[in-house]
Amino acid sequence: MTPRPPAAEAPAVRPLTGYPPTVRTEELERHLGPGGPLPPEAAARADAADLFPQAAVDALDSFGLYRSYVPERYGGGLRDYPTTAALIRAVAARDLTVAVAHGKTFLGAVCVWVAGTEEQARRLADRVLAGVPVSWGLTEREHGSDLVAGELAATGDGPRLRLDGEKWLINNATRCGLVTVLARTDEAGGPRGFGVFLVDREAQDRTSYRPLPKVRTLGIRGADISGFELRGATVDPVADQIGAPGTGLETVMRSLQLTRTVCATLSLGAGDRALSEAAAFADYRELYGRGLLDLPAARRTLTEAYADQLLHEAFATVAIRSIHTLPGELAVTAAAVKYLVPVRTEAMLARLRRLLGARGWLRDVRAGERAGGAGIFQKVERDHRIVSLFDGNTVVNLNSLISQFPLLARAHRAGREAAPGLAAAADLTAALPPADYRALRLMPTRGSSLLHALPGAARQLAELADEDPLLAPAAAAADRLARHAEELLTEIAGQPIVPPDVPAYAFTLARRLTHCLAGAAAVALWLGHHRTAAASADPADPGCPAPLWRHGRWLHAALDRVLTDIGPTAARPDPPRRDDAELDALDEAHRVLGEVLLAQVRAHRLTSLLPVRLAAPERADRTAPDRAERTGDAGRDRAAPVPDHAAPGPAAGPRTEEGIAR
Amino acid sequence: MTAPATDRPGVETPDSLEWLLEDPYQDTNPTGHHAILAADEHGVPLPTGEAVLDTWPANAEYVPPELGGRFRSVDTLVRRLRPVFRRDAGLGLGHGITSLMAALNVWLAGDAEQRARVARLLLGGGRISVAYHELAHGNDLSRNALQAVPGPHGYTLNGTKDVINNAGRAQAAVVFARTAGAEAAPGGRAHSLLLLEDLDALPSAVFRRLPRFRTSGLAGCVLGGFAFHGCPVGRETLLGAEGEGTAIALKSFQVSRCVTAGVGTAMLDGALFGVYRFARERVLYGRPVAAIPHARRLLAGAYADLHIAQALARAAARALHLHPATAGRYAAAVKYLVPRLVEDALGDLTVLLGARSYLREGRYAFVGKHLRDVAGLSIGHAGGVSCQLTVLPELPGIDLAREHAAPALFDTSPLPPLDLAALRLRGGRADPLLATLPAALDACGGGPELKGLADGVRAELDAVLGAAAALPVTERGVTAGARSLALTDRYAWLLAAAACLGTHRAVGGPLWLRAMLERIGQRSGRLPESPVAEPAAALFAELEARAEAGVSFDLDPEPVARRLA
Repeated sequence: MTPRPPAAEAPAVRPLTGYPPTVRTEELERHLGPGGPLPPEAAARADAADLFPQAAVDALDSFGLYRSYVPERYGGGLRDYPTTAALIRAVAARDLTVAVAHGKTFLGAVCVWVAGTEEQARRLADRVLAGVPVSWGLTEREHGSDLVAGELAATGDGPRLRLDGEKWLINNATRCGLVTVLARTDEAGGPRGFGVFLVDREAQDRTSYRPLPKVRTLGIRGADISGFELRGATVDPVADQIGAPGTGLETVMRSLQLTRTVCATLSLGAGDRALSEAAAFADYRELYGRGLLDLPAARRTLTEAYADQLLHEAFATVAIRSIHTLPGELAVTAAAVKYLVPVRTEAMLARLRRLLGARGWLRDVRAGERAGGAGIFQKVERDHRIVSLFDGNTVVNLNSLISQFPLLARAHRAGREAAPGLAAAADLTAALPPADYRALRLMPTRGSSLLHALPGAARQLAELADEDPLLAPAAAAADRLARHAEELLTEIAGQPIVPPDVPAYAFTLARRLTHCLAGAAAVALWLGHHRTAAASADPADPGCPAPLWRHGRWLHAALDRVLTDIGPTAARPDPPRRDDAELDALDEAHRVLGEVLLAQVRAHRLTSLLPVRLAAPERADRTAPDRAERTGDAGRDRAAPVPDHAAPGPAAGPRTEEGIAR
Repeated sequence: MTAPATDRPGVETPDSLEWLLEDPYQDTNPTGHHAILAADEHGVPLPTGEAVLDTWPANAEYVPPELGGRFRSVDTLVRRLRPVFRRDAGLGLGHGITSLMAALNVWLAGDAEQRARVARLLLGGGRISVAYHELAHGNDLSRNALQAVPGPHGYTLNGTKDVINNAGRAQAAVVFARTAGAEAAPGGRAHSLLLLEDLDALPSAVFRRLPRFRTSGLAGCVLGGFAFHGCPVGRETLLGAEGEGTAIALKSFQVSRCVTAGVGTAMLDGALFGVYRFARERVLYGRPVAAIPHARRLLAGAYADLHIAQALARAAARALHLHPATAGRYAAAVKYLVPRLVEDALGDLTVLLGARSYLREGRYAFVGKHLRDVAGLSIGHAGGVSCQLTVLPELPGIDLAREHAAPALFDTSPLPPLDLAALRLRGGRADPLLATLPAALDACGGGPELKGLADGVRAELDAVLGAAAALPVTERGVTAGARSLALTDRYAWLLAAAACLGTHRAVGGPLWLRAMLERIGQRSGRLPESPVAEPAAALFAELEARAEAGVSFDLDPEPVARRLA
């Protein structure tokens, strides 16, 4: 089973129009405008003073963003998760602090959508739609991600239950109107010893819900990160308990599958912003007598970061769509995407920071501009660090995958085929069925369709490469990935897992698993969408991503990043060296990536596989004042000699800067 | 706190700073983490820390003995400053290492009077800023635009320097300026270095200290700038000869790169202890984090990174004394690789700290601060790519048959005095550190695992030298593609392997060496992660024993004031 039948059977490929995530993102962009609610200086001041970004949150409220957190059937606007995730990404690209501050309501409410009754869901939906923030009380000071050790207790108190204890490092704990709380209902604890309760602060007196002082953080400084202490807060054991008694942990685990998948898009937003900052800098900077973009090594750093971003986007896209089409496999997909995308984005931001030099950590300098708060890159990196830490950190996600090793190995031995839902996840024109929360499983007994489909998908690419020889490098990379996945699953089957002492090497295998899944998602998405992408090509659009899709360029670059990260393995200590033809093809892929990246940034398009228009400033207000002052020195320095016969770099295109500011 | 009775310093040198700065985990310690984070919060240098450095005095470490100071060798300097960087890199850099960066130019090129005056200034507690950086030109010295127009009485300065440490409070500055006219031929002789000994005496109409540049780390560094608008300075400000600025600066960089990289490793030592301490206290899933195999592997990995970084940084620092003709290449390789290795290791450690690595409060907040600060350390002064571009053109000519380093490159024995004039702008074909590699690999002994690792390093050596020799001329400079530039990364890792091989008999033995070579292979992407836990387990046991004993994790351990809870 391959993700999509060959196009020969479907001759009329139509362009992608009215794609809801794109449509809504562009609406949000128009609503917010190019500058957004806060000028950079004010935003920087608020960040420095740890102030909540109220104006920005208000602007999102006036757009009705909270409607995207509430399922349609309860009167909200959440029809499909890709659209909600796209909006969160767009907000994160502007300011990740704001995305975290606002998006928390979705995290706080999700348990109720997943396990609540119709009545509970409607009750909560009404409050969210009235603009009330909702928080989620899971973690405790002494136990962190070890939820089973949670001490906040629900105990019998007549017809009511009383809640006592503390939750710590809780987003919006102070500002929220409601909070869903994980509480120990059985003194002995254990997997069935917890419940989830919806606590309405309006129904509590001041002493029973006490917000704890704000915790000062390195990034997302404005966010309301604090905690709360419950002392005799009372709830109704039926009306306020979400899901059946004793199912609290299970409800939380299933809900986390949704939130982890969606949270990966925070990283996409951070990546979008970082790439546009880096491209702006590269456009501005001249080093050693030539443009930074004409220095091949610097240019490759930039385009490799873009390849990372496209890989992450592809993985997140398939994962988020699979909430609708493959909910039973989300336990694997969510943990993998929540591990891989934030961690690889951290690495990508670090590389871009080094490319930016001093501007990577100066707070008031951006390209040729010096102004309060202009140096946004350092804030993007600081803010983004939260993403790999919250809602299930790196260790938690890898542990979760390790616990699924036996199932994955068994499904592989059984020779399972990909479920049809994978094709729908990878075809952006496919209509998505409503999310079915009852189909979420803690253990994916069928394994992962992405892995099942990979060998066939690689073969399909090879067949397509027979018609289009320029596709051959991408097909070869997919084939290597498929072989690697096969070896990995064999190794996983032989890995003894004896909880709680998971061998350290199991984490290595789990990391490789996430890379295989990401690469497999990229392959699936390319196969599922490349014809539509070709049909959607718009030569009049300066940032048109169609060249990325042609001949599998982005796929080749993205798979190369995956394979480089996987590196040598115990089963294959000497991976085959890439020959010159393959390296030349990779260079060509990066050349195309570079052109599209710069075109997208200059034309105010999202740095994306899809064409998405961002708000564009109306005038050229960012120029490089000192460009004109430069001397004509051709720049020869003993530290960095320029050979006399060095070929001039390719024309760098228009150097205007007006567009890059957002 | 009193120092243990081990290896007390000699008469002339004062106590280790470790005992003046005391246990950083004591909340009441005015130079402990608590106070450091409070200063960081306000974005100011730690006043109590600066006071300790003033009385020690740290500035004496930057002044050669013949001028009355204690700057005898680069690796000793690094070792003696480690206690500061364990705690607060901003304090170490901000208080004075940039004064050393400036003074190196004077020690190298100043006349006797300039040298004596600068020594007096430093020994009196003064500061000198080092003003190379211009925001429009980054690390590209050749494009520096600040002009010093020669006239009958000296020079007239026009232009600005940005992101200069201590620009707001330094008495003096070394300024890199273009002395050739704009019409002059491009090349390495267009710039000169000027020593401005009394900034306050410059007329305010033509000279301004610029406001602070705010950064996201290294709050202990008060970065500012200078603006000159037709500012006249005397001819006696010239350091060395006119047009020698680039050459002098590039030689000084060789020393400052080794110092920066070396002291930066101490941040990893400090964070590693903190995260280990946390892992002992923190209970997850019913047992201390420090008992979880994955956590042990991460800690042992960071410990290996620390030793690799220090072995390499130390060999490079000692090469400045022992092999000055090649030391510039080592300095560049080290400045490229070591801060990055430290940053990566710190990143791994934050995985264990989890959310606490993200807080600006609490006992372990200093680890997150280290991670922010190290970003500044890698950028500061000479970014990674400019270091790679220093190494790349020299790779094709390397000839291992020439000079071989003696064992002194790898130990802590006394060194001949640093002769800055013996440093060379371009490294020669000899590569004494790398040249030790083949024989050391033959002789390393050990079991089959070690032999396999040694074979891998040997194959990598052949591959890198072969690929470098085949580089076309266009691939040896700034026009080099990413694949060519990657050779400098592989070269740096080979130097690290050579440094570990040279060091191993004194510090570790075969199991230690196995752990290091394995880690080097993995970090450089050449070797897979291994299912075998043996070397990592040995490192972890060593780490635990040292933490218990109150000894640092350094390659050359020393008693430390910190205590486990």
